[in-house]
Amino acid sequence: MRFPKRLGSLSQEQIVFLITICMFLVFSLTLDNFLATSNILSLLRSVAVLGILGLGMLIVVLGRGIDLSMVANMAISVAWTIQLVRVGMPLGWALTTGLGFSLLMSAITGVLIAYAEIPAIFATLAMGTFIYGFGRAHLITGTDVVYLPAEFGWASAIGQGKLAGIPVPILLAIAMAIIAYLFLRYSKLGWNIFNIGDNQSAARISGIPVRPVIVLKYVLSGGAAYVAGLITATAVQSMNTRIVNSNMIYDVILIVVLGGVSLSGGRGSVRNVIVGTLLIGVLVNGMTIMDIQYTIQNVIKSLILLLAIVADSLINPRDEQTGQQGDI
Amino acid sequence: MKTTPLVELRDVTKEFHGNPAIKNVNFELYPAEIHSLLGENGAGKSTLTKIIAGVHEPTAGEVLFNGEKVNFANPQEAMENGIAMVFQETSLVPSLTVAQNLELGNEKLLSRLRGLYISAQQFLQSLNFEVDPTMQVSQLGAAQKQMVEIARAVRHQAKVIIFDEPTATLTPEEKHHFFALVNRLKKDGVSIIFISHALEEALAVSDRITILRDGEHVVTDVVSAFDRDSIIRHMVGRTLSHEIYGEAGDKRQARPMGRRVLSVQNLSMGGIVRNTSFSVFEGQITGVFGLIGSGRTETFKIISGVLKRDFFHGGEVRLNGKPVRYRVPRPAIHDGIVYVTEDRKLEGFFETKSIAQNIYSGLLGADLNRAPVISYKEMADLAEVWTKRLNVKAIDNNSRVIELSGGNQQKVVVAKALVQKPKLIILDEPTRGVDVGAISEIHHVINELADSGMSVVVISSYLPEILKLSDRVLVYRLGRVVEEFSVEEATEEKIMYAAVH
Repeated sequence: MRFPKRLGSLSQEQIVFLITICMFLVFSLTLDNFLATSNILSLLRSVAVLGILGLGMLIVVLGRGIDLSMVANMAISVAWTIQLVRVGMPLGWALTTGLGFSLLMSAITGVLIAYAEIPAIFATLAMGTFIYGFGRAHLITGTDVVYLPAEFGWASAIGQGKLAGIPVPILLAIAMAIIAYLFLRYSKLGWNIFNIGDNQSAARISGIPVRPVIVLKYVLSGGAAYVAGLITATAVQSMNTRIVNSNMIYDVILIVVLGGVSLSGGRGSVRNVIVGTLLIGVLVNGMTIMDIQYTIQNVIKSLILLLAIVADSLINPRDEQTGQQGDI
Repeated sequence: MKTTPLVELRDVTKEFHGNPAIKNVNFELYPAEIHSLLGENGAGKSTLTKIIAGVHEPTAGEVLFNGEKVNFANPQEAMENGIAMVFQETSLVPSLTVAQNLELGNEKLLSRLRGLYISAQQFLQSLNFEVDPTMQVSQLGAAQKQMVEIARAVRHQAKVIIFDEPTATLTPEEKHHFFALVNRLKKDGVSIIFISHALEEALAVSDRITILRDGEHVVTDVVSAFDRDSIIRHMVGRTLSHEIYGEAGDKRQARPMGRRVLSVQNLSMGGIVRNTSFSVFEGQITGVFGLIGSGRTETFKIISGVLKRDFFHGGEVRLNGKPVRYRVPRPAIHDGIVYVTEDRKLEGFFETKSIAQNIYSGLLGADLNRAPVISYKEMADLAEVWTKRLNVKAIDNNSRVIELSGGNQQKVVVAKALVQKPKLIILDEPTRGVDVGAISEIHHVINELADSGMSVVVISSYLPEILKLSDRVLVYRLGRVVEEFSVEEATEEKIMYAAVH
């Protein structure tokens, strides 16, 4: 009964889900190859990376934060991993080092936000730029693009392999979604992230270790970024660090907000991210089959993002009138 | 007073989603009268006044203004007709100056700040308000904001001014100013509707009183027909006054002093807490009285780790003889010191969460949960036990806390603190914004805690509450404890004298 009547008391998640279904049906009827198994699999595969990044972002946003450094973190840590393998480091060590770098960087971000109390949007923006600059200057030598060497061995299956006919990236995304769901629902840390996003002062007074939880939240998003990066790199046999300058990070925010996760924190679930990811997957896939220009696709996506943010502020308002206690 | 009423409501009903907030209420307001509207939280006072002020439209019944039927579509229209409402949460723009706020809504396209300030200064002076018109509203105190809000209503030449709990945030001195103003407005022919929880104020200032209960009109009469007890009887439908605050001359035996649990020496923080020293004992309720801004809340926030003391010469806090210094509340909670905030909405509960989830969050914060992961069964059982013990009224324990009335919200916040198994619990204004029925229940719980051997600190600005609950009374003034009374020797006059002089 808190939702505006004119929306038929649907939550944003339900609306987005309905739109996805409608678009799916329309595309299935009008586009020839849309419903083919191979297309559906490639649709899912194309958004698997986005979905995993979205899960990391979800955890950060639930605790009333935002992580704009995810794409930079993903590109540089994975590119460095590849670089290390190229110069002869054993694969296992290289993967560990890359992951360690990614976690360290996000921990520094977390410390800046939690202890130095820099607003998340500035801290992550600055850290994103720092990671990219530092990586390009000192970690990755030569070109923007680091190619996968043959020594990458079994790890290249992460992006290219198939299990029972289903591409590994899809399976990984599903596994990560399940882990994130269980983490948010059953772990104390996940519960505390929700509480901090809801009311940070109340969380502090209740004895929740607010600052460590905030740091951990960013570390988790760094971990998600590393997994997403490995999939990206092994799928296309290279890591193009210029991805940092693309608008990928906005796509990540798009799927999170679109699914109905509130940017003001405390409200949202893994389901929201899945719904948002599917909408973008169907939309982009359909538009690609229809041969719509990339630039026009961006216009359409951005309009949808704006719509989602407006809907968010209408459905999850934080103003005095509805935030009031039950005085009727 | 047998003229036509200025405002009249006839059989007005207002429903929200099918639930009536007020049912068939009749209400009359005569010119130049002060009319108090009393009732528990949720009795429908705010709804009634919001209908008069054009915020809500009545579902049934009619509103008459000056004898004519009116239907204000929005507060703006009511304002143009001379009905102004001063809201509980102020509706000023914090980043503008006082003068600009006074002008709000009828600014010219181009305005000259100097002229604005001069006219605002003259206007405020004519009301005897000491507010600098060039100050930004965000820098004002609560009382001054209220003054600006009132000034704005007066400036619009309102014939009817509605005050929704205007005195809740004011200090006694400011209250005095406020009531002087109200009386002056009345002399100028303005009618005033006054909503308050403080019954003494209503009795002192009003001409007539209307009491609502559960959305229904109970009684309207001139003020001389009421006293404290009869008002409470009408409000709750039973006699409670004695249970809540006792008789004036009623003397209690103080509980015996237990072990010294907390000892504070020379504690300081900025200009707010200044070298204060005192002790708290086990098995007793220590009442802390002081005017707003006297540093009592800050002192106990330092003790519980919510705020930090001065780094240099900050003083010492000893818990059970051992010096402690908490930088965050978490270790304090582990040591058994739990602070229950005075502002539950800002730092008390989690608004998107249910009653059960809020109480369980307290348990998790203190690391007292049995299962290593979130156990939804443990949560439900815990909520069951505590909502029963504190008598939280809600549809079920999955209702969101934000939807509860003030009293029930407070009980949830108290439950959330009690599950942390405190040894020393600090309750800051435990009954602020809580209805009469819930006050006595909360007081009962507080007494039980002390009887069970816990050290309890109750901070309150309401003298009868301090006298009713405390075994020992500490009085705060200008950042330190200036007097200590045992309950046998304390009187309202003595405490007030110590707090002011």
